[in-house]
Amino acid sequence: MNIFKKEPNFKLMNKKYYAFIISGLVIIAGLVTFQFMDLNLGIDFSGGTMIEVSFKDNISINYLRDSLDKVGIANSEIVRVKRENKFFIKTMMEITETGETEEFDEHERKASLIREVFRTPEETENLKAGKIDLNNSTGIKITDFLTSRGISLDDAADSGKKIVDLRKNFEDKSGNLTGLISDFNEIEKLDLKKRVLSKLKENAFLGSLTFLSTEFVGPQVGHQLRGQAARATFFALIGMLIYIGFRFRPIYGIAAVITLFHDVVIVFSFILFLNIEVSLQVVAAILTIVGYSLNDTIVIFDRVRDNVKLMRKEGAEMILDRSINQTLSRTIVTSTTTLATVLALFFLGGEVIHNFSLTLIIGIIVGTYSSIFQSCAWLKIWEKKFLSRKKYK
Amino acid sequence: MKKALGWKIILILVVIGLSVWRFLEDKIVLGLDLRGGTHLVLEVQTGEGLIVQTDQHVTRLKSLFKDASIKYEKVTRKGVTGIEVSGFEFEDERNIKDIFDDDFREWNYTFSARLATMKLKPNEAMRWREQTVNQALEKIRNRIDATGLSEAKAQRIEGFSQKGDKLLVLLPGIDDPGRIKEIIKTTAMLEWKEVVSGPFDTEEEALSDYGGKLPEDLVVLKMNPKTGGRKGFMILKAANIVSGNDLRNAKRTRNEYGAPIIGFSLHPKGGRAFEKYTAANIGKRLAVVLDKRVLIDPVVQTVIPAHSGGVITGSYTTELVDDMVVMLRAGALPASMKFLEERTVGPSLGADSIRKGIYASSVGLLLVMAFMLLYYKAAGINSVVALALNIVILMGVLAYFRATLTVPGIAGIILTIGMAVDANVLIFERIKEELRAGKSPKSSIDSGFKKAFVTIFDANLTTIIAAIFLYQFGTGPIQGFAVTLMIGITASMFTAVFVSRVIFDLIYGDRKKLKKVSV
Repeated sequence: MNIFKKEPNFKLMNKKYYAFIISGLVIIAGLVTFQFMDLNLGIDFSGGTMIEVSFKDNISINYLRDSLDKVGIANSEIVRVKRENKFFIKTMMEITETGETEEFDEHERKASLIREVFRTPEETENLKAGKIDLNNSTGIKITDFLTSRGISLDDAADSGKKIVDLRKNFEDKSGNLTGLISDFNEIEKLDLKKRVLSKLKENAFLGSLTFLSTEFVGPQVGHQLRGQAARATFFALIGMLIYIGFRFRPIYGIAAVITLFHDVVIVFSFILFLNIEVSLQVVAAILTIVGYSLNDTIVIFDRVRDNVKLMRKEGAEMILDRSINQTLSRTIVTSTTTLATVLALFFLGGEVIHNFSLTLIIGIIVGTYSSIFQSCAWLKIWEKKFLSRKKYK
Repeated sequence: MKKALGWKIILILVVIGLSVWRFLEDKIVLGLDLRGGTHLVLEVQTGEGLIVQTDQHVTRLKSLFKDASIKYEKVTRKGVTGIEVSGFEFEDERNIKDIFDDDFREWNYTFSARLATMKLKPNEAMRWREQTVNQALEKIRNRIDATGLSEAKAQRIEGFSQKGDKLLVLLPGIDDPGRIKEIIKTTAMLEWKEVVSGPFDTEEEALSDYGGKLPEDLVVLKMNPKTGGRKGFMILKAANIVSGNDLRNAKRTRNEYGAPIIGFSLHPKGGRAFEKYTAANIGKRLAVVLDKRVLIDPVVQTVIPAHSGGVITGSYTTELVDDMVVMLRAGALPASMKFLEERTVGPSLGADSIRKGIYASSVGLLLVMAFMLLYYKAAGINSVVALALNIVILMGVLAYFRATLTVPGIAGIILTIGMAVDANVLIFERIKEELRAGKSPKSSIDSGFKKAFVTIFDANLTTIIAAIFLYQFGTGPIQGFAVTLMIGITASMFTAVFVSRVIFDLIYGDRKKLKKVSV
């Protein structure tokens, strides 16, 4: 099968200013947006606390927000996982003069407040009465609890492990893992000793929420990471410049790095437009895009290098157009396969990886566009330099 | 030609065999974000450690001055690694210089009118700093080991643009790290000090006897009501009778009522000091101080002989005593710790990520394979085989290097699936071009592989360069991504260039006149 019946012959070089205008408009729109709203920094870069909570019952974001307001955690951002009763609760911390040890205590305080505030009165009663919450206890805690009530250590440890395993793999009706056991009957179905079961019936209950993950990043760390991310991107670009300058010639390196820089700026613009939360993963995605886009660009440049040798009588415009066209079906095929896998990741990979895959999707599209429409256009600007054939003898 | 092909096939089989064997043998290590657990980043407050050491040098200097009967007004620490001597007699300057030259070689010094300023040499300060971090790491390791968490790990974070005073602690399978954090964070500096007076309700009240300012040889410390049963502040002698460094062993025992208490024994030197002190001070109070808080202030009842050791009583829970014993045995941290990061993933989220990761990879893989078969027909089979092999090698190498597979790592595998076929695509498109240019199928395959190779090499190398920067920049999960990407792309060069070629040769190599090649 072929995308093009014969070698395509798009005249791209004489339209290069359209490409510059389109990219320029996106970048300007990005800069304007940046004036009015900040990047949505995740706790990796801003510092703060992020907690993922799973609820047994259907709960609205407004209810969560009101409850948090009551205990004085007002500046929090709550995001719901689509079609599930899971929420991310993010609260920021600013750098204060008190130092981070206290900020860490602050994080612990918030985490326990959040746990408290969503508990039903009945659960609070149960806890006061010395009962154990099987949805929020580690295997060790359950084991300790049982041994202190006269169960042998072996039986207690076995029960603890079974209950935690049940919780770990517990699905709701739509097949999502909730991390919560919803019904005590499920525990009865486990192959537990009768004595254990009767102790549990008497002294244990199933809490209506559980923490799936908690993260704390100190604000100073966030600040450092921001610097590191910027440096890593910068040095990666320099590394590319040197490599291409060495393998091809300096002018190709410059054109490629301008293209990559263009990619990074445009991807950041889209991150702003779509309000994607910038985390370490998103930065990783951006660096990957740098590698990917360069991959495309190099394939084209490689052809340009060949064609400079082969098409001795042709001008720059002709050579560049020809090179892009010759590699066009490869560019499209590879982008398609890569995009297909990243789309699979986006739709099926889960919430944890969502922003990462979204950034990659944008990046792959932008990278493909820029390799075709930008990289050679920048070479064309230094027409005489890249055409110099002396070195290729 | 045929013989060479035979060797190539053997090489491929060996690679497959090795990969499968390592994969089955070593098993891939799952990261904390997949198996559940806690990841902690702490910073050793090395400045504090330096201050403690400088203070020790101040004390040593004072005693040397005393021995040499040099009079002075003040010896004080300046900043973190500076010492200032002031108010000495002019004629003593020579002697002071001699002391500096003999006993304080690691220090630079300057003299000006009856004032000597010392500053620790920079490389020496560096060495102290290193020592502090390594000691802290060692102690934390001992403490974690003593809690029985066999899989827990503590290591220094080092590398590109990261300061060396950070430690990483990984606690797999722990989703309630509270107790461990307490054990890590507690400095566990144990001291026995002589009680001067107290307790007082407030600090002001304690200081009022001294006009609001204590003389240099006394300190005021807060009491810990949980252990001593009393609140308030006490005035103690600043000098220790003995300290945690003199401790030989600590263990949990019980008092006559069966309540848990801490039993300890001392090294000979400390033991003798303790014996001497208790003999001279029967009936007086003694304070046991942990991390600058007074635990208890018992009255000395009898002489405590050097070899017998003693007990620290108080009202403790068994768990608290156990934790204190762990910390006392491992010894005090040379400086305090600051928690910079904590990331805890519960087991169910990890299970969820594994499940979704496998699902997404399978779908991605099938999509790519279907596309390649549809688009390149027979040659597509070739790339499907190469792709499958790529994943086998990737898994084998991951297992062999005991690389940690993380959530972003899975993403790296999925992305690799998409990008690995690129080498095949480059080759196939080249072959098509050559065919279009009118070359024979056989020479088209030949030159297709040959010409595409340079491009594949350059293009993949840049992706690997990006991955290296990513590895340097990131921690845990992100590094997992960079590693899978690097391995996957390197493997794709082998599978798409070498293995694909062998397959082509196997299929078309025998035929004398090749009429058609399906790409």
